[in-house]
Amino acid sequence: MAWTPLRFRVNGHPREIPCPPERILLDLLREDLELTGTKRGCDLGTCGCCAVLIDGRPTLSCLTLARLAEGREVTTIEGVSPPQGLSPLQRAFVEHGATQCGFCTPGFVIAATALLRDHPRPSRAEVERAVAGNLCRCTGYTKIVEAILATAEGR
Amino acid sequence: MHLDPFELHRPATVDEAVEMARRHAGAFDFLAGGTDLLPNYKMHLNLRPHVIALEGIRELEEHGVERIGAMTRLAEVEGDAALAAAYPGLLEAVREVATPLVRASATVGGNLLLETRCFFFNQSEFWRHSLGYCLKADGDRCHVVPQKEKCYATFSGDLAPVFLTLDARVELAGPEGRREIPLAEMYDAHGDGIHRTKLRPGEILCGVRLPPGARSWRTTYRKLRLRPSFDFPELGVAAAARFDGDRVAEARVAIGGLETYPTSYPSETAALAGERLTEAAARAVGERIRAKVRPVRNTAIAPDYRKKMAAVFVRRALLALSGGAAA
Repeated sequence: MAWTPLRFRVNGHPREIPCPPERILLDLLREDLELTGTKRGCDLGTCGCCAVLIDGRPTLSCLTLARLAEGREVTTIEGVSPPQGLSPLQRAFVEHGATQCGFCTPGFVIAATALLRDHPRPSRAEVERAVAGNLCRCTGYTKIVEAILATAEGR
Repeated sequence: MHLDPFELHRPATVDEAVEMARRHAGAFDFLAGGTDLLPNYKMHLNLRPHVIALEGIRELEEHGVERIGAMTRLAEVEGDAALAAAYPGLLEAVREVATPLVRASATVGGNLLLETRCFFFNQSEFWRHSLGYCLKADGDRCHVVPQKEKCYATFSGDLAPVFLTLDARVELAGPEGRREIPLAEMYDAHGDGIHRTKLRPGEILCGVRLPPGARSWRTTYRKLRLRPSFDFPELGVAAAARFDGDRVAEARVAIGGLETYPTSYPSETAALAGERLTEAAARAVGERIRAKVRPVRNTAIAPDYRKKMAAVFVRRALLALSGGAAA
């Protein structure tokens, strides 16, 4: 069956790309658009490594059909960073040593970016709840939570 | 992981969705939030050639205190202050579902119609092949109760027990028209882990209706699982009560995570009416329910333990309603 190309925006840029109905958004981002910052962890929704923002809403790209992003704005970790350098949240991750192997980091940054946008001054408990869907197998949670809190406090 | 090809349909209205379901009878799945269906598709569990996506149908997305559209995201329930204030037990249950990232996509309707789960079903194609598959997918025997020809996969939604204690009704739309039935009647008490609802072919769950009286009930939800996030319930207990002074006017308990459908226990809670909700009374209800539940060995936690915990969780949930200490 002939499909019209998928039209949506990725990190602020309009994109038009062939996309069969069964294509998963994560696969489209990584393999077709070569945006490999978004990671494939469990591929079943458990680990949060593949989180992206769709119209600002944190979403598991491994459990999203790409065609359902038609007409929407997808923001990946590449779109969270300013053109030069890092976002304040990303800088805080570096400064607090909140990255170990780094594989889970994009998902944490996406989840925390949405949290800080909606709740600029979260409590520690709110931060912990907001990243409860992101797994860090290096178990570096303390530094991750501290980096997010430090960003909120502007230090 | 790439999915096997299917045709994707995007109806704009419920009527269009019903028509598509009629046209592809027996060969489609409805796609709500995707957090249950797509993992199962990735593991090649009961694939269908047609997928009808319900996203974008406004009637299914509207939500308020009296009616919650089936496509309401669980995160939207959490963020709806009026809903949370009206039904605290519903908010507790929603917050216990999976993780914030899953709840951003997962829907109320999807949770009520969650695929049943089993240790022998929710596995990769490779794993299941090596065991010769099972009744619920591609095989002809049950590995949980081998001498039986029915499926024991467990109902693992967290919201259904709470809605059952609130006497919720569900709106359905199908090829034969629209109807509204009590939620309790949507689940098939005589079915099994495969034939688990009494939905007619092609019927869509459109929304949940809560009776006006539901707001005068105190509600709570307690969940047993391995990890404090992500995991499905090994036992999910909802309790609700109305009080008349310091005495119970009426109390209800409903449980998920133990059998193939979520169950209410009216005869086990009837004795609470007119009584003070004491530790002894709550304990007695817990023991009566424990004697009745029949979990099987198909999840991470052993059935004996889940059964024992049913008594404990029922007691704690009831005492939480009375404002008493959770012992």
